[in-house]
Amino acid sequence: MSKPDYVEIVEEVFYKYKDKKTEEFKYLGKNVVRWDAIAKITGQPIFTADLLKLVKNPVFVYSVRTKYAHAKVKGVDYSDALKYPGVLAVFTAKDVPGINDVGYVIPDQPLLADRKVRYIGDTVALVVAESLENAREAGELVQVDYEPLKVYLDPLEIIDPETLEEKPHELIHDERGTDILTRYKIRVGDVEKAFKEAAVVVENKYETPFQEHAYIEPEAAIAIPEPDGGVTIYAKTQCPFDTRKAVANVLGLPFNMVRVIAPALGGGFGGAEDVGNEIAAKVALVATRLKRPAALIHTREESIIGHTKRHRTISWYRHAAARDGTLLAVEAKVILDKGAYASLGPFVAWRAVVHSTGPYKVRNAKVDVVAVYTNKIPGGAFRGFGNPQVTFPVERQMDLLAEELGMDPVELRLKNVLRNGDRTVHGQLLDHGVGAEEVIKKAVELSGWYEKRRLYASLTGPVRRGIGIAIFYHGNSIGAEGADYSSASVIIQRDGSIIFRTGLTDMGQGAIQGLINILAEVLGVPPNYIKVEAADTAATPDAGPTVASRSTAMGGNATLVAAYKLRQRLNKLAAELLGCGSPDDVVIEAPKVYCKDDPSHAITWRELVEQAFWKGVPLQEFGFYRAPPAEWDEETGTGAPYFTYTYGAIVSDVEVDLETGVVRVKEATTVYDIGRVINRTGAELHAIGGYIQGMGYALMEDLYYDSEGRLMNNNLSTYHIPTARDVPEKFNVYFVEAGYYHAPFGAKGLGEPSIVAIAPSIANAVVNALRSKQANKLVNKHPLTPDYVYGLIKKAGVKP
Amino acid sequence: MVKVTLTVNNVKYELDVPPLERLIDTLRYRLGFTSVKEGCGRGECGSCIVLVNGNPVHSCLALTSRLDGAEITTLEGLAPAGKMHAIQVAYIEARGVQCGFCTPSFIMVTKALLDRVSDPDDKTIREWHSSVLCRCGSYPYYFEAVKRAAKYLKEGKVYFDEREVREKYHLKVLAR
Repeated sequence: MSKPDYVEIVEEVFYKYKDKKTEEFKYLGKNVVRWDAIAKITGQPIFTADLLKLVKNPVFVYSVRTKYAHAKVKGVDYSDALKYPGVLAVFTAKDVPGINDVGYVIPDQPLLADRKVRYIGDTVALVVAESLENAREAGELVQVDYEPLKVYLDPLEIIDPETLEEKPHELIHDERGTDILTRYKIRVGDVEKAFKEAAVVVENKYETPFQEHAYIEPEAAIAIPEPDGGVTIYAKTQCPFDTRKAVANVLGLPFNMVRVIAPALGGGFGGAEDVGNEIAAKVALVATRLKRPAALIHTREESIIGHTKRHRTISWYRHAAARDGTLLAVEAKVILDKGAYASLGPFVAWRAVVHSTGPYKVRNAKVDVVAVYTNKIPGGAFRGFGNPQVTFPVERQMDLLAEELGMDPVELRLKNVLRNGDRTVHGQLLDHGVGAEEVIKKAVELSGWYEKRRLYASLTGPVRRGIGIAIFYHGNSIGAEGADYSSASVIIQRDGSIIFRTGLTDMGQGAIQGLINILAEVLGVPPNYIKVEAADTAATPDAGPTVASRSTAMGGNATLVAAYKLRQRLNKLAAELLGCGSPDDVVIEAPKVYCKDDPSHAITWRELVEQAFWKGVPLQEFGFYRAPPAEWDEETGTGAPYFTYTYGAIVSDVEVDLETGVVRVKEATTVYDIGRVINRTGAELHAIGGYIQGMGYALMEDLYYDSEGRLMNNNLSTYHIPTARDVPEKFNVYFVEAGYYHAPFGAKGLGEPSIVAIAPSIANAVVNALRSKQANKLVNKHPLTPDYVYGLIKKAGVKP
Repeated sequence: MVKVTLTVNNVKYELDVPPLERLIDTLRYRLGFTSVKEGCGRGECGSCIVLVNGNPVHSCLALTSRLDGAEITTLEGLAPAGKMHAIQVAYIEARGVQCGFCTPSFIMVTKALLDRVSDPDDKTIREWHSSVLCRCGSYPYYFEAVKRAAKYLKEGKVYFDEREVREKYHLKVLAR
């Protein structure tokens, strides 16, 4: 069976350049200034709310949210609100013309609450007024008749942790008949036998916290009614094509009547997936009904209450090992605190189960992952997507095991880590670049692991130092979650400048720069010839969602395919014009184009483009790529869940104050195998920025609810994220490049991986600083806030 | 309504504002300076920092009606038309910009810092920069940008030609 041409192109390019060092490329792997830097450092209106200044006569939309976390809605009376000055309309569930649902994966989430509310954040009504202030004030006058129900904040009230059976309770999703959203499992080998034969068994309970994305730009959306009855929407969304689908469903319009444009995003990190759909649907509903532009701008409080979070988890892990450190079995139960709606929870839970045994050779495994609804803000997508929640327990377990065995944590990991030719726990053969061993060795070398382990063991006094390691792997792109495709278009203009279009969005992560670098490298033009159009469902091709660390690999493949085809045509033409022996002899180093044996006889890039125009050589190309199929057996948890994996090793060097419990990271070493560095600046920013975000997750971030289900820390004054003062003094960053043949020049993703193993590396370092076997067991959750760390220092009896 | 006269980016505005109008709303929505961002509305994230009489101020916590006669500088007014300020060029060259939402405020804080300390050490930079939150984690790059900007200013390079900077780092007009 012959392969599709796009697969052949990507493979051909991979093998052609496999042995070429990254530093020998002209644009790939270089430090470059990103394409949108100048707009950003001059304060141009590029974010959604900025665009309001270009919109004439808008109305403002305010979401009236429930005051109860779990209640029946018996009626909504908004007659007083309608009388408030400036108020134009109030909309409730009955005003939704299409389907009143914005659930991302399953239809369990009404846009406007109809008969029930399930968390404090559900929207009951939309108030529309001439000003945002008036809309907000009128919102206070909307009277809702609630019948309060029992509020469930702890998933263990709903599920029995022993049997994983659902307990009898008042259902949150009575329409589903169960509050268990989803279950996934792995059943491999003979776990019972392995535990019986094991020399060492370690077990512990773990908890990981909620995490708020805290992107600095709160959400905003603006809708403009179109003359044909359709609507154009500018919204903070990571996935404009998904947003279009959600809006079309809500309005009952065909997809081609809804146009969604994603301006620059002031951060996304996964958080701008669901909420983008929700706010877009709200403004679109209003704009199409009132025939005026409609705007919605969240305050920070509305943002924190109104968008999904990283799922909190509770897990129980048991590891069995032989005396020499060989892992024999892993048994685990992981409960995801789902919050009120599914959001992307089914996929998050699946990614969690796939990664639940870590990047190790595991032959016997029994794992259950269950997602349980509660009356809290829904868990959804957040950089890492289920993997940080299982990597924390796995990597803490490895350190418990190392202590039991009397082994160095690095040696234990090296003994068990996946290598080229190994099979994952799912039975997937790793037949290409596996850089896991190399990332560990490099991280050990750069961090000065062995010297510091020795030195820190001898320190005395109230301020201790510790160093810890954590490793991980992370499946690239969406794998068996769904159809995995990407596309891009490249149009060379008559003056030789280039327009590049893709439906992938930029939320700050800078993946688009990687695509520019690929395009520049293949065509032979400098990156500053290329203009990027913003993601727009009416103009840019659907490239799939901007999620799952897929932009560089999947978007890169589509870009590579388009660029390759254009380059082939231009080479053929240039060879004719210049008299080169073969099209392969053409060198394009724009503005110069020449045959490789005669650089002095050259034409310009612009002349080549002009000739192509007159000779009818097409100057535009569309690139498409579909990922190799993924496989997953629901009964056993086996198959090939992702086509490739990014590997990483993190070493954290911390200081622990025994008298205050304060933990500070002094030095961080991050080493990732990303196949090939395409955009070095972006990769380094991820290695460092991901660390800092992970450090917040490890040390300070969590959500706190009162007993009624109200979020208590709903602004940045109470939800703390790292500031400039918290940044480690030193970073050591390194990239291993074990390429993958189904990716552009071998590149794999780094967006999500850069946060996965930060928290366990810091926790392991804290344990190392405390030098106490008891503390090793007690460090079983994070954030490692001063009060928690101080408490465990006292419990473990650690003395200065 | 309160009558106030403000000088924003060297242009004088005579305004009638409600007594409780926040400076951020005056700058952002009344006058259209979009570099002034709202991130939290309570002086935590620092995205709305502007210079009022040379001092960095959270414009979400300041009332316009109390600022009669004030001189205000936003990022838009950092350099004359057609020019780019050395601090902006330093931020481009340090390559730390990611989502860019917080960047205008970091630049304004840097301006206020370098107006006071021409050669700040690491600790001072961290202290000043801790007034702005960056979730992408670009902090170390922004520390570097401050040092780079300090160097330019010491060399007397305050303004750069905007077109030259654009062509060097961004879109090029192609010669025939």
